[in-house]
Amino acid sequence: MNQISRRSRRDFLNWGVNGLGATALAAMLQADGQAGDSALPKLAAKAKRAIHICLIGGMSHVDSFDYKPELTKMHGKSLQTDEKPDIFFGKVGQLRKEDFEFKARGESGLMISDMFPHIARHADDLTILRSMESQSANHTPGLFVANSGFEFNGYPSMGSWLSYGLGAETESLPAYVVLNDERGAPNTGASTWSSAFLPSDNQGVVLKGGDQPVRDLFPALKLDGAADAATRQFVNAINQQHMQRTGEDAILAGRIKSYELAAKMQMSIPVVADISGETQAVQESYGINQQQTADMGRRCLLGRRLLERGVRFVQLFSGGPIAGSPRASWDAHENVKDNHTLEAGRIDQPVAALLQDLKQRGMLKDTLVLFTTEFGRTPFAQSDADQVGPGRDHNRYGFSCWMAGAGLKPGFAVGETDEIGWKAVERPIPWHDFHATVLHLFGIDHEKLTFYHNGIQRRLTNVHGDVVSEILA
Amino acid sequence: MIDCRIQLLHDVAQAARLSAQTSRLCYAVAMLLCVHTMVPAQEVDFDKAVAPIFISHCLECHGAGELKGGLNLSQVESAMKGGENGQVFVPGDAEGSLIWQRVMANEMPPKHPLKDKHKAVLKQWLAGGAKWGTSPIDPFSTTTDTRAGRDWWALQPLREVLLPKVHSDPPGNEIDAFLLRNQLNARLVPSAPASPRAQIRRLYFDLTGLPPTPEQAAAFVADPSDVAYRKVVEELLASDHYGERWARHWLDVVRYGESDGFERNAPRRNAWPYRDWVIHAFNNDMPYDEFVRMQLFGDQLKGGPDGAAATGFWVAGVHNTVVGGSDRMKKLARQDEIEEVLATVGQTFLGLTVNCARCHDHKFDPITQREFYQMASTISGLGYGERVEQSPGDQAILTSMTTALKQLNERLSTINQQAREAIIAARKTGDAEVPEPPAAFARWEFNDDLKDSVGELHGKAVGNAKLENGALMVDGNSFVETSALTKNVTEKTLEAWVQLENLDQRGGGAITIETKNGVVFDSIVFGEREPGRWMAGSNGFARTESFNAEAETHAAERPVHVAQVYQADGTIIGYRDGVAYGQSIRKADLQPYKAGETEFIFGLRHKPLGGGRTLTARIHRAAFYDRALTPAEVAASSGDSANYVPEKQIVEWLPQEQKSERNRLVAEIAEKSTARDAQAAKANQTIYTLTAGQGATTNVLLRGDPDNVGDVVTPGAVASVSGVQADFALPADAPEPDRRRKLMEWITHSDNPLFSRVMANRIWHYHFGTGIVDSPNDFGFNGGRPSHPELLEWLAGMFQADGYRIKDLHRLIVTSRTYRQAGYLPVDWEKSSSENDPREVDAGNRLLWRMTPRRLEAEAIRDAMLSVAGKLNSEMGGPAFEDVSIVSNNGTTYYEPIDVDGPQFFRRTVYRLNPRGQRSALLDTFDCPDPASAAPRRNVTTTPLQALSLLNNSFVLRMATYFAERVEREAGADVSAQVVRAWQLALCRDPSTDELRLSTELVQQHGLAALCRGLFNSSEFVVVE
Repeated sequence: MNQISRRSRRDFLNWGVNGLGATALAAMLQADGQAGDSALPKLAAKAKRAIHICLIGGMSHVDSFDYKPELTKMHGKSLQTDEKPDIFFGKVGQLRKEDFEFKARGESGLMISDMFPHIARHADDLTILRSMESQSANHTPGLFVANSGFEFNGYPSMGSWLSYGLGAETESLPAYVVLNDERGAPNTGASTWSSAFLPSDNQGVVLKGGDQPVRDLFPALKLDGAADAATRQFVNAINQQHMQRTGEDAILAGRIKSYELAAKMQMSIPVVADISGETQAVQESYGINQQQTADMGRRCLLGRRLLERGVRFVQLFSGGPIAGSPRASWDAHENVKDNHTLEAGRIDQPVAALLQDLKQRGMLKDTLVLFTTEFGRTPFAQSDADQVGPGRDHNRYGFSCWMAGAGLKPGFAVGETDEIGWKAVERPIPWHDFHATVLHLFGIDHEKLTFYHNGIQRRLTNVHGDVVSEILA
Repeated sequence: MIDCRIQLLHDVAQAARLSAQTSRLCYAVAMLLCVHTMVPAQEVDFDKAVAPIFISHCLECHGAGELKGGLNLSQVESAMKGGENGQVFVPGDAEGSLIWQRVMANEMPPKHPLKDKHKAVLKQWLAGGAKWGTSPIDPFSTTTDTRAGRDWWALQPLREVLLPKVHSDPPGNEIDAFLLRNQLNARLVPSAPASPRAQIRRLYFDLTGLPPTPEQAAAFVADPSDVAYRKVVEELLASDHYGERWARHWLDVVRYGESDGFERNAPRRNAWPYRDWVIHAFNNDMPYDEFVRMQLFGDQLKGGPDGAAATGFWVAGVHNTVVGGSDRMKKLARQDEIEEVLATVGQTFLGLTVNCARCHDHKFDPITQREFYQMASTISGLGYGERVEQSPGDQAILTSMTTALKQLNERLSTINQQAREAIIAARKTGDAEVPEPPAAFARWEFNDDLKDSVGELHGKAVGNAKLENGALMVDGNSFVETSALTKNVTEKTLEAWVQLENLDQRGGGAITIETKNGVVFDSIVFGEREPGRWMAGSNGFARTESFNAEAETHAAERPVHVAQVYQADGTIIGYRDGVAYGQSIRKADLQPYKAGETEFIFGLRHKPLGGGRTLTARIHRAAFYDRALTPAEVAASSGDSANYVPEKQIVEWLPQEQKSERNRLVAEIAEKSTARDAQAAKANQTIYTLTAGQGATTNVLLRGDPDNVGDVVTPGAVASVSGVQADFALPADAPEPDRRRKLMEWITHSDNPLFSRVMANRIWHYHFGTGIVDSPNDFGFNGGRPSHPELLEWLAGMFQADGYRIKDLHRLIVTSRTYRQAGYLPVDWEKSSSENDPREVDAGNRLLWRMTPRRLEAEAIRDAMLSVAGKLNSEMGGPAFEDVSIVSNNGTTYYEPIDVDGPQFFRRTVYRLNPRGQRSALLDTFDCPDPASAAPRRNVTTTPLQALSLLNNSFVLRMATYFAERVEREAGADVSAQVVRAWQLALCRDPSTDELRLSTELVQQHGLAALCRGLFNSSEFVVVE
């Protein structure tokens, strides 16, 4: 019987205060003394918040962050292998050298190509992961696994796990905010930032422009302001009276509190969404004044403002729907040079400005910047076997992502792909390791942050995951 | 009658031999204690004490699958031989044994060292001579502290249990007896009965998902007797709303969604027959075993629309329609699909997480990896798709309706024909006017070039397309394409004059409007689905249906004029030689085309050029109109304008008597053809359902990797479930229906103890908010332990003995004293000296000392608002209403919530289109689950976004306005009367003096709608005691 009541007390607290900034952490700490098995360990947290720049469609690593001189030499030769590469369209053309020139950057001498001239200036702040691997060379499963550790619909994303694990630092903003590309949401839509089986307050909240930046933040139909205020006072009054009659039940107390927090959100979201108070210089540094960079620039600046005010996880997408012509993502099947010039041109300056801004404000030391892609692109062209076409297919065997900021070795690269950049050969980093590392930087043991769902204590890292300790400062 | 039955079961139970005090849980605990206390004994029993340690802590790396360091501890010979580092056991010498050294140093097992008590057992065993027991170790033999064995409580046969002997006043039913015993043991007393108002509101929401009307509530408050209560229970169980409410629960469990998920996420507009079938099954109290048999095997058991609808179960989940080009991707996607469906089958019906055994034996429950693939073999014919199901009875009615309609049409045609002939004769003498042909947006004469003679949509030949004798010649390997359309097009008309090379050809297009890649298109096609007939071709037959017209007979000898008019509402009307071609069709919404992304092609159904899509013909002329032409315009354009007589002209021509008859006929035809169309849909129902293929010979896939193929397996299931035969005695290549039948029989077998336990627990879960097992989809080691093991046994046994009648379970539960008790302790409550404070000893209310107040589910909140506002549209069944905009962008479908208003949107939420991924603002924040995965237990959160939704969502605001209008209608102009009525409607009670004062102020200053919005936001509205 004791067992039942102990379990229940924890559930009760969790249930009653969910969404009030109370979190897994609170619930688990509560449980700690009783069950004797603390769920969240006492790792030192280096990161307090993160901003995730999530590239849709697959960025070519051999043209950006993974310099392969051997590939240059082998341009026009055939890929020497007996295996059939697991790629999307199945056309294996000849090897193709990089389309962008690589240079050693900064004091670290990290090799970064001219695809990202602005980001390259921050080479000494970056931690490049050159041996990423994915389970899937298909967009949607690839995007799902990069975000949630599973290739399917229905699993919580990294931002949701962090929200669940740590909550927000503020009560007046959501813990997890999503900023979509102006060209549209990624194909998977809200599934990409879903809280899935985690409590719904951990899902990503989409922040848009306009006078309704978050859906239903203000009355969706015309309503008199004084009537609105009076109604809310009335609601509060009758809810208080109801609770006095029935006793302090957690769910009733929770509801009353939720209306107070809703009012705070109504105050703070428009303030954070309004960038007009930022100086002209700052706005220009983000590229808001130029057409090509205006969208990402605005979102990067918004991202910084959200982080500053206590949002835990901000997610920015670079790229919209995957299919269609012309491409609105990094999916350069037809022509890497053209496509990546365009896509990188949209985000290079804004992302560099974000790094600069965070650093200047002293935030980079406890903010994690994540720059990811679904997968890389093949070192061989996507063309007939005797040709070097201008496009590249999906490559799940090896690609590059980078992180920057809190708790990381700056100006550092980990892992290697083979000499042509096809497969990760040294310290391969599957997504589970990437996620384990992110959680670690937040002071969370990835094996301990779990949520029971249909038969298993689910985690972001499924049943895998090793922290990439090589990159920890 | 019910009471008699329960009495009977009671007697049986009293005769049972098992002690009432022993529960499986206690048993499991006792076993563990047993292990512990055996340590000091002289000889350690290997099987009971040591093997469990090996199983839990060693064999994952040193057993079956993997042999790290070359060490295999799963059997005596290999264990004694040791690994790469030599021998690990020195019998009789613990200190000298390598295993002990590594364990003592906490090096093994890595990360999670053994607990001291286990170390002690190991040492004792080594010292005592390391005598091995069963070899190889049977990892499933017994339950340990880290996993379940075959002796796991849930896998055992149903036990008959004695009803507890407890005295209570007033007496309760059997359920109360079980609960009271545990309450007394914890020194708790159940709460007093809830107020009649709370009871009636609870009962209505629980059984129907809707609130009672003020009158219904008042009637019960006036007479809250048991008799009256039972009468209400019976009324609610007989209500159609009951099925709508409880089907919604079931749909959560089977993750029923109405789009594919993954990249494309296409809508499934024909999935709803499954939803309706579930609703009807609940309403008809279909016995649960039949309910399950139909879902698993209804296509074979019953067939027809019912069978197809029921087996929609198999395809209720996500389906990846973009699996990539490589073989590996395809195989992996298929395995993922099989795992996802097996997970649903195992968890839904049996609470078994079989899916966890795809890559290795289940880590927590006695399910082997081989058994996973044996089950996979039983469902290897799984296929997703649509089937058209004909219902013989409905077909017969359809035929007679069609005949009747034909006769009416003939009569009308005779009248028309006579008038037409007379009018044409009169035209020749100049006594009747001839209509003008309409102006086209683009027109290709094909006389001297491929140019558009009106605009800029000039053509370009591809392949051998050439001009000859004033016509475009297409030869089956050529076509003409135009430049891009410069404006957005919604409604439209396509038109062509075509002479076919022969009438046997199939599938070519005369004129096509398409997106540049040919993915989306509309086309005048010949002989595509129906030989010898013109059709409106479209991508994936999205808008294509038979015109039910006569076969073409002339087009090989002379050019015929064909036109297709695409109207704004999606209706497509075909014409041949200026007159209607069969019946108009409407299968889907109108497909819009975008400027810059659209082109026309001639001679090809859609790009790319390929077999089965080309036409062999002379196209004399073609035209495109950016609007829907009228019949008169088509006729005029057909070049037969002299012989075309518009309807208006006919009517005017007729003498009065014939005119009246004609009017009667037209009205009758319109009415009967609507009825006929409805009947046609009923007689030929398109259903998204299981499209079973052949079963595949199935292998174990090592580590779940499709490239790592192991042994072939035969169809079967999980052997550790007691009472049922897990080997299906079928060959590996058995026909698909045989496999699925065996699976169905195994699941629904009356000796399968999980079958009734899991469902009885599910029903309990929905009534009380928490199951006796709090993980309704998981009765395994990772799931919850039953809070009342004997009650669960008793309920499951009762359920089975009663013929799996779900409504009887409801009756039993909702009439219990436990169910009817209060939700809140009185504010002045004080415990007596002999009892505990329940808030301290059982805050989670597992012992049900009160009825936990519950926030309504998202659907119930929406439905309750509709009901209170007086706007609920009770129409049942049929296609879903769509309160999202559905936009297709390059193959991917996006769903955006939109603000809608009107009765078709005021149906119950269970009828709302339920796509995956993109959702409704209101439902979402109130924890309505995304049907991407099973939701056997919904989260219940309280969040600021929820408050914002309930305050500001357009639906809530609209309902507040309607609610205010209703109050005004019912209460008149007096503000006090309005306030009282509003409170009654929303909360089934009158306001207190203070509430009346606050409400009146609000209404006086800001109007009635403000009060109505406020009441929707009250805790009392959304939290039911």
